[in-house]
Amino acid sequence: MADAKHAESLMDRVWKFFTSLKLAIFVIIFLAIASIIGTVIEQNQPLEKYRQIYTDGTIRLFEKLSLFDMYHSWWFLLLLVLFTVNLICCTVDRLPRVVRIVRNPKTTLDENLEKSLGFVDRWKKKGELAALAETYRAAMGGAFARPRVTENSGTFHLYAEKGVASRFGVYVTHISIIIIFLGAIVGNVLGFKGYANIVEGESVRRIPTRGGTNHVDLGFSVRCNKFWVEYYPNGQPKEYASDLSVIENGREVLRKTIEVNDPLQYKGVWFYQASYGPAGASTVTVTVSNPDGGQRETISLSPGRHAEISGYGKISAVDYRPDFQGLGPALLVVLEKPGTQPAQFWLLKAFPEFDRQRKDTRYLSFAGLNEIFFTGLQVARDPGVNIVWLGCALMVIGIIIAFFLSHQRLWIRLSRGGDGRVEVVLAGSTNKNRLAFEKKFEKIQGDMKAVKP
Amino acid sequence: MLNVRLFDLTTLLFGVASVNYVAALYGKKETIARIGTWVCIAAAIVSTAAIGVRWAESYKMGIGRIPVTNLYESLVFFAWSVNLFYLAVEWKYKSRTFGAFVMPIAFGTMLFALTNESSIQPLVPALQSYWLHAHVITCFVGYAGFAVSAGVAVMFLMKAKREERKVTGGVVGRFPSTKVLDDLVYKAIVWGFPFLTAGIITGAAWANYAWGTYWSWDPKETWSLIVWLVYAAFLHARVTRGWHGRRAAILSIIGFLATIFCYLGVNLVLSGLHSYGGA
Repeated sequence: MADAKHAESLMDRVWKFFTSLKLAIFVIIFLAIASIIGTVIEQNQPLEKYRQIYTDGTIRLFEKLSLFDMYHSWWFLLLLVLFTVNLICCTVDRLPRVVRIVRNPKTTLDENLEKSLGFVDRWKKKGELAALAETYRAAMGGAFARPRVTENSGTFHLYAEKGVASRFGVYVTHISIIIIFLGAIVGNVLGFKGYANIVEGESVRRIPTRGGTNHVDLGFSVRCNKFWVEYYPNGQPKEYASDLSVIENGREVLRKTIEVNDPLQYKGVWFYQASYGPAGASTVTVTVSNPDGGQRETISLSPGRHAEISGYGKISAVDYRPDFQGLGPALLVVLEKPGTQPAQFWLLKAFPEFDRQRKDTRYLSFAGLNEIFFTGLQVARDPGVNIVWLGCALMVIGIIIAFFLSHQRLWIRLSRGGDGRVEVVLAGSTNKNRLAFEKKFEKIQGDMKAVKP
Repeated sequence: MLNVRLFDLTTLLFGVASVNYVAALYGKKETIARIGTWVCIAAAIVSTAAIGVRWAESYKMGIGRIPVTNLYESLVFFAWSVNLFYLAVEWKYKSRTFGAFVMPIAFGTMLFALTNESSIQPLVPALQSYWLHAHVITCFVGYAGFAVSAGVAVMFLMKAKREERKVTGGVVGRFPSTKVLDDLVYKAIVWGFPFLTAGIITGAAWANYAWGTYWSWDPKETWSLIVWLVYAAFLHARVTRGWHGRRAAILSIIGFLATIFCYLGVNLVLSGLHSYGGA
């Protein structure tokens, strides 16, 4: 027996520990401090970078404390677990009590309750008890909320309440945090995050996961048909875009141009435009024409390479400008004809006939720059994300309920006084926003006293 | 640009309003404070017009977007929110003494904005999203609430100190009662907190839509969480432990310091994803 009692008290103590506000405040403060540390020490940087900032001893210490990848360290996760356990225990501990209060409200105003309430007023009224009770019932309905009436050995009790939901706001908020954590766990266990760099014209099917050596087989492949960058007039990038196709069983099943902030989704896998880069050297296309209009030739030039134009000379491209003095894209070429000095001149894409001005046996036109890019995509599947959004929505709703509603209660007790008049006692309480309720109570007081039988 | 000149005028008006409120406090002249209120209303009109003009001018430049995308714009938007939040408080609580403690925050913000690049720059691709509107507006309304709370917390501490020494009259004699001040410290946070929460959530939703991760422990995200935790602690201490008065006021000021660091410090000291980082 003694053992059982001892065990019970130990359980009690453990339970008290996990339901205590002290634990909550402790966890919140530690989460905050740890988070600050994580922003001061840059996370997940290469070792060389840390070597520039810290001494070897400091690095060893920080590594032991997992401070370089702190948000994924065992002790940070432990804090989150403690936080969750604390939230669950507080809810389990307090919610049933609140449900009981809400389901069985104290509908009669006895003396003990009267003493415990902050808002009480009393006055006397002439009239018949039952009739007055009816009058006050109507008046209370108008001024506050429809009351329940109970008669108890010659005493009438009127009870009305408002904003009961306010009692549950805090639990909705706390549960929402647990739901968000659940969503995060589901996403981490069942989802993946990866990346893919796809050269224009190529496709991928296996995606390397971020921060790991694993690959995920999508079960379909994604092809980058084209990638391009648009610019503002001042040359700053305006938009990166990739024209993507989803290919499944050899068939194109979906095609979409994605941009930053406009991803593609297929079978729960999302592709986000994240970066881009040059894939190999760019080439330029130049056409060679006869001034009389006949005989055309198209040649492709790579940087640093000459191209032979048969019966004319050697040509190479030496410079490219996306906008040459407001005239649009331009190419600087060097032409070497046998027996003459090399000549250097600009070709303008917008004016293909421009080179006729040399009045030579051939004229050249700049047909365009063929840049080959790879598009950098973030790839993610997160089956938990909608659970997270559900939690977020509940959190906002819970906070609003918790702080903007208050559970307000109002009692009226009518009893026959010694002098034959009816004694009226008005009492009220609120669980929040006392100042606002004070004003409301004053107004109700006035209304109730002015009631005419 | 017209919008910048309007913002300069706004700065001047905030300055005049601040001086009026402080002067009214020390000179004990309600008329001066009343002028302050009208100056604040004028500033609200001018700054709203300035934001509208800036918005329109960005469209004329072919880079149309809401003007809340760099440090200059976010500062003026913050000052705009503080001013409106303040006017609402003044109207609700029928006291102009708050002005001496809140309007200087708006004025100082505008002065700081003046030292920053004010031209309209095109938007980098990452910021071109409708989430931008919801994210920035919710965050800054939240910040404005915290600013008002901290300003009132300072008033509370001044008044409480005088009352402790049983000194009546003086500047603090014109303040509302400590009970009202204490309540307002709490109320402003109660308004700010859901907006900050919504701000963090819209930020997460946006990040998820742009990059496929709703939370990546980026310094800005992390600091917004820290601020959120500080105010969550404030609310718990108040509701379940009855922290009123001095301790609550100090916590409100700590919360606002964390907010300022989250807003400015992170960008100026730490590195991260937010647009006014290098600007």
